[in-house]
Amino acid sequence: MKNKLPDNLFPNNIKNLLHAMSDVGFFERSVVVGSWVMLIYQELYGARYVLRTLDVDFAVHIAHQKRKLKADLKQLITSLGFTDYFDAEGTQKFTGGGYEVEFIGQRSGGRGKGVLAVPEWNVSAIPLPFISILTDFSDVAELCDFIIRFPIPEAFFLHKLIIAQRRLSDAKRDKDLEQCSVIIPIINDERMKNIIQKQRFSRETKSRIVASCDAIGFPLHRIELL
Amino acid sequence: MKVAEKDNVVHGMLEDEYRRSQEIVKALQAKLKYYPKGALNVRGKKVKNKKYFYHYLVRRDGKKIVNLHVAELDLPKLKKQIEEREKCRKEILSYKKRVLYLAKLLKKSKWEGGREK
Repeated sequence: MKNKLPDNLFPNNIKNLLHAMSDVGFFERSVVVGSWVMLIYQELYGARYVLRTLDVDFAVHIAHQKRKLKADLKQLITSLGFTDYFDAEGTQKFTGGGYEVEFIGQRSGGRGKGVLAVPEWNVSAIPLPFISILTDFSDVAELCDFIIRFPIPEAFFLHKLIIAQRRLSDAKRDKDLEQCSVIIPIINDERMKNIIQKQRFSRETKSRIVASCDAIGFPLHRIELL
Repeated sequence: MKVAEKDNVVHGMLEDEYRRSQEIVKALQAKLKYYPKGALNVRGKKVKNKKYFYHYLVRRDGKKIVNLHVAELDLPKLKKQIEEREKCRKEILSYKKRVLYLAKLLKKSKWEGGREK
């Protein structure tokens, strides 16, 4: 395995969670996202970003409708000492040891849907746009004796470029752009272009990407945004 | 006196954590309502040289102490629910501590709401 992570990279709570989820095959198609990915990039590619939130997010690959249960993640996560609860929007989340675990999934269509049911894993996810960029372009790394899947830096970078400009909070936008700036040195132009070619962005999304690139000084020709 | 410049990103993360913790406390408190109140108690009774054990759920109802008999069959489920309730209470307590700490740090009142995903 080319991507080997040190055993003590994650706090024990999170490592155990990742291990259990890996064992049931969650990382075959779904990925770990959020600020914890930066820790993986730091280890594998030397892109250093020290700020981390206490929520552990997973982008779940939504299988074809009515697919049968693969594993009961709700039962699995609560058996690890986490407590499940529903937030104000009705999304199922888990909390334990000060960490919050939540799932996000690709939102198809408009803003209508409040919660995305994922019967395959017996959890519900927050529907958000552009999540498929993260799940479709990913890589795996070995941690202890199991594997975890994470978005490749180019996918993470592109996703952040888009969502940064959709943020209502300045602080969150700044954080997204800061993370982008840290990733710039490890961006591979060919992989980046490959991702872009497979997307169909609206004019609005393209203008968001341009605005983010301007903000961090990333040359647009490296993206080849048509 | 030198004053450090405010870091927007770090400050934003702390604000977010403050609001997130408040939301979790509220959600867990709502969940707590669905768990049975009280503690499990066992009483032994001797009948014709044989000892029998009965389980009770003891809880306070105003000034009264109420003992509710628990059937042997319902015991495992009840024990699990009480265990989960205690886990939930522990989580609430730890988040409340965090809210207090962050409220002090951010110079906020203890309970304010709303956060952006």
